[in-house]
Amino acid sequence: MSGEVDITLMVNGEEQVLSVPASRTLLAALRDDLELTGTKNACSQGVCGACTVLVDGMQVNACLLLAVNTDGCKITTIEGLGEGGKLSVVQQAFVDSGAIQCGFCMSGMIVSATALLAENPNPSRDEIRQALSGNLCRCSGYVRVVNAVLLASERRGA
Amino acid sequence: MHFHKPISLDEAIALLAGDAGAMPLAGGATLVAMMNAELIEPNALVSLGAIDELKAVKSAAGGDVRIGAMVSHTELATSEQLVGGHAVVRRAASLIAHPTVRNIGTIGGAVAHGDPSSDLLPALVAADAVIEAAGSAGRRDIAAEDFFEDYLTTTLAEGEVVAAVRLPKSPVGATGVYEKFTRVHGDYATLSVAVMLAMKGGNCSFVRIALGAAGPKPIRVKAAEALLIGSELDGEAIAAASQLLAEASDPVDDVRGSADYRLILVPRLLSRALANARSQVEGAA
Ligand SMILES: Cc1cc2nc3c(=O)[nH]c(=O)nc-3n(C[C@H](O)[C@H](O)[C@H](O)COP(=O)(O)OP(=O)(O)OC[C@H]3O[C@@H](n4cnc5c(N)ncnc54)[C@H](O)[C@@H]3O)c2cc1C
Ligand code: FES
Ligand code: FES
Repeated sequence: MSGEVDITLMVNGEEQVLSVPASRTLLAALRDDLELTGTKNACSQGVCGACTVLVDGMQVNACLLLAVNTDGCKITTIEGLGEGGKLSVVQQAFVDSGAIQCGFCMSGMIVSATALLAENPNPSRDEIRQALSGNLCRCSGYVRVVNAVLLASERRGA
Repeated sequence: MHFHKPISLDEAIALLAGDAGAMPLAGGATLVAMMNAELIEPNALVSLGAIDELKAVKSAAGGDVRIGAMVSHTELATSEQLVGGHAVVRRAASLIAHPTVRNIGTIGGAVAHGDPSSDLLPALVAADAVIEAAGSAGRRDIAAEDFFEDYLTTTLAEGEVVAAVRLPKSPVGATGVYEKFTRVHGDYATLSVAVMLAMKGGNCSFVRIALGAAGPKPIRVKAAEALLIGSELDGEAIAAASQLLAEASDPVDDVRGSADYRLILVPRLLSRALANARSQVEGAA
C-alpha cells in the first residue's frame, strides 16, 4: 500500500470512509478531513493533551496515532459527547464550575474526565488529578477543573 | 510512505527484511512524535498492532512471566500477574508519563528505542529480564543487561524485532520497587532506582539494583549488590553500595538536572527504595 490508503472510522457513532496518506495522524484526519476542529493541536508530541480523544473507549493522544493504524476503530471526540444538542453531564459541570478560561485545553480535559468517570464513577481529588495529568492548562490553575469533575461525578450519581 | 499491518510475526519480519527503509511501528508514542517533528521520514511502516501473539502477558509454570512486545504500559501497570519481585516492572510502568501515553506506548517499543531515561529499562535489568528478538535469521534471547548498549542503541540487528520480554521466576518472598525522581509529575526521570529485594532474619538475602537516567544505559554494579547481601541494610552498607553505583554512573547535564545533581540523588533514592522494599517484604512476612 502506498499513496492514499482507504480507511473506515466510526466517529461519534457515524461511519466515515476516508482516503488518507499513510503518514497522516488521526488528529489531522479528524481536524482537516472531517472538519471536527473541537479536538485541538498544540504540540504534536504527546505532551499537552489538547488532542485527547477516545479510541475504543480509551483516552489517547490523537497526535501520536496514525489514522491508518486506527482503521476500524470507534473514535469519540468532544463533538460526540453531548446528546440531542445538549451538553453532556461532564461538559455542563465544566461550564457551571467556571472551569473554562480560554478553552483551548478543554476538549482534551473533558474527554479525559469522561474516560475517568466511565471507569471510576466516584473518583477522589487525587484520582482526578492523576487522570488529567496529561492535560495541560495554561490558564485555569486546575482547581476548578477538579471541582468540575467532582460536580459531574455527583450529578451522574444523582 | 508505505503502510503494512500484518497479522503474523513471520509476515512482519519478511516485510522488514524486504525493505531497508521500513521501520516497525508499535504504539507510535515516540515514532509518530518523531515523524511529526520531521526528525525521521520512514519509507515504510510495519504496524505490529494486529499480531495477536505479541499482545499477551502469560505466566508460565515455574514462575516465569512472558510479556508480549505489544503489551501497553497501562496493561503492565494494572497486571495482576506482575507480583513479588516482578512488581518492579508493574510499578515502573505505572509511573510512565500520563494515562494517555500509557495507553499508547508498549514494552516492545520502549525496549527497542533504548532510551536510558525510560522507566522500564532499569526495571527490566533489576528483574533480570530476557529480551526475545526475532528476525529472518531466527529467534534469539538476549539478557536485558547486555541488550542495552548505549544511548538509543541496542543489540537489535537490522530488521530484527522484539517479540517478547521474559521475566525469570523471582526469589521466594522478594518484592520489587521503583523510585522515580522527577521535576514534575509524569516527566521523564531525573534519576530512578529499580530494586528487587528479599530479606531473611533481618538481613538482606537477595538484591538486584539498576539505575535509570544515570548513564547511556541502565547502570548495574554487582559489587554494590554484594556489599548489601548479608547486611542489615544499615546506613553504612547503603552508603558504600551507593558510592560504587555513583562511580559507575555517567549521567548527562540536561533540563531535568545536572550530572552532579543526579549523582547526589543516587544514595538518597537508593535508601528510599531499599527502605520501601524492606517494609514491604517484612510487612508481608
Ligand atoms: C509525552 C511523552 C512522555 C513520555 N514519558 C515517558 C516516561 O516518563 N517514562 C518512560 O519510560 N517513557 C516515556 N515515554 C515513552 C513512551 O512511553 C514509550 O515507551 C515509547 O514511546 C516507545 O513505545 P511505543 O510503543 O510508542 O514505540 P514506537 O514509538 O512505536 O517505536 C519506538 C521505536 O522502537 C521501534 N520499535 C517499536 N516496537 C518494536 C519492536 N517490537 N521491535 C523492534 N523495534 C520496535 C520503532 O521502529 C521505533 O524506532 C514518553 C513518551 C511521550 C510521547
Ligand atoms: S497536540 Fe497531542 S498532546 Fe499536544
Ligand atoms: S483554559 Fe486556557 S489553556 Fe486551559
